[in-house]
Amino acid sequence: MGTVHIKDEERIGSEARVKLEPSVYLQKLYQTGTPDLGWMNNMAEWGIRAKPGNLGLRLKDIEIGSYGIVPDHGSDHRSMAPRGSVIPEGVPSLGFTLNEKAEVWAENAAELYEEAVARQWSSARDIPWSELKPLPDDLERAMCQLCTFLTEVEFIAADAPTRWMSHMNQDFFEVKMFLATQAMDEARHTDVFRKRALANGGGLGVASALSELSLKRIFDAPSFSAQTGRLHLLGEGFVLTLFRQGEFIAPSRVDQEIFRRCMQDESRHVGYGTMHLRAQLKANPAVAEEIHEQLDDAERILLETFSVPEQVEPMAILMGGGIKHFDKGMEMQGQLWRRIVHEYLQRCDSAGLDRRPRCILPTDFSKLFEAPQNAVVS
Amino acid sequence: MPSFPEPQWFLALGRLMEAEGALFQRLGFAETRFVVRVIPDEGANGGEKLIGLVIDGYRLSEAASVDDLDRFDPDFVICAKRSVWERMLAEIAESGRPSLRHTLSSLALVGEEMWLESSDQLREDKFYRYNQTLQELLNLASRVSG
Repeated sequence: MGTVHIKDEERIGSEARVKLEPSVYLQKLYQTGTPDLGWMNNMAEWGIRAKPGNLGLRLKDIEIGSYGIVPDHGSDHRSMAPRGSVIPEGVPSLGFTLNEKAEVWAENAAELYEEAVARQWSSARDIPWSELKPLPDDLERAMCQLCTFLTEVEFIAADAPTRWMSHMNQDFFEVKMFLATQAMDEARHTDVFRKRALANGGGLGVASALSELSLKRIFDAPSFSAQTGRLHLLGEGFVLTLFRQGEFIAPSRVDQEIFRRCMQDESRHVGYGTMHLRAQLKANPAVAEEIHEQLDDAERILLETFSVPEQVEPMAILMGGGIKHFDKGMEMQGQLWRRIVHEYLQRCDSAGLDRRPRCILPTDFSKLFEAPQNAVVS
Repeated sequence: MPSFPEPQWFLALGRLMEAEGALFQRLGFAETRFVVRVIPDEGANGGEKLIGLVIDGYRLSEAASVDDLDRFDPDFVICAKRSVWERMLAEIAESGRPSLRHTLSSLALVGEEMWLESSDQLREDKFYRYNQTLQELLNLASRVSG
């Protein structure tokens, strides 16, 4: 084997502050030439032979024997020692604070993780940017304003849950791995909408104080589940419908491709959030009130966000096909508003949260400007 | 030659899906069972058709007429009149894909010409999770005769 040349090798350690004690084990090994091999007789469950399915070896395929058991209470050592391994004495705790399965778990976490990994895409490679054609000025301005909004809000779904990720017991690694894919998805969404705003003769538009308030409240949520209610159920559910609208209003195949791919990613996030809340509410029904309180506030901010021109008008212009058809666009927006509310409430149902009596989102879009806020439920 | 919406027509799409392996592998796997519901146009003869489809990874593993929706237990049902389906297929035949506002997702969003039925929003959301795969599968219709 050739010798690797290391630059200035003689200087290494010449000013070291720490003195290294020789390893007793290595001294013995060097002197006797006999390996210890004690670790070979100290394995966890042995003889495991996971079989790949038709889509390769997935996490669900290795949920076998003791390795397939996800504990209701995360391990007390609070370290990153792998679930199912032999844990030595004295592993330092990383101080995880989310140690109950119900606090983070979703039955579909592993499935969604695998799906996310398989369905990754590249905004540089997979969007047919070269097909982008100049748009009428009003449509380009509207698209750029929408992209500004999406660039502004998307990364919260990476920043906010990953704050909690480092608090999650490592025994629930499937959830952490899924959230890592969510963070990657949101990075891509931030990148693709910024690229779109800058790719066709436009640029970024106006940022929003209301959006920022909404993001801050997500960021400041007092628990992971409260944040999930706010972020996944309402926020991402709303953005999912927005992506579907984007696919519909897309003035070009480039825009359609962007929105459709983002829509797929966002559906996974909503799927995790819904299933997490289902597990949490089943185990701890009292958490419902905390989530309701978050949604009370989040719905109010959403309504305020939907009451300013830079949010309402770009969508109306894109839906109508230009400023000339603004009224038609508003009418369509009203129809789609019902869908947003319908799907949000359906997801609440699916999570096991009876939101209908407390929901302040009007089912009729016109009530946003016809009635006082405390009487908007129709 | 099989014609839309016969199960054999969908199975022909499935064979093309497998032949186009690289395209679908790049989109990523999909796992869903759903039903295509074809409603007769007003004044047309014949009843509605329900075709149950199963996508298992990168292949269409099942396409069969469905008599009992509950027994088939689909994640979602995509419903539209025959003329709406045929318009989409005609556009696909002409240019390889439907026009911008006639995609599966766009039509289902508006909900007038095409709509989804499902017992659970979580399962319905698979329509969105795998939307590109579903659309690309239908886009293969340009290469199926009939």
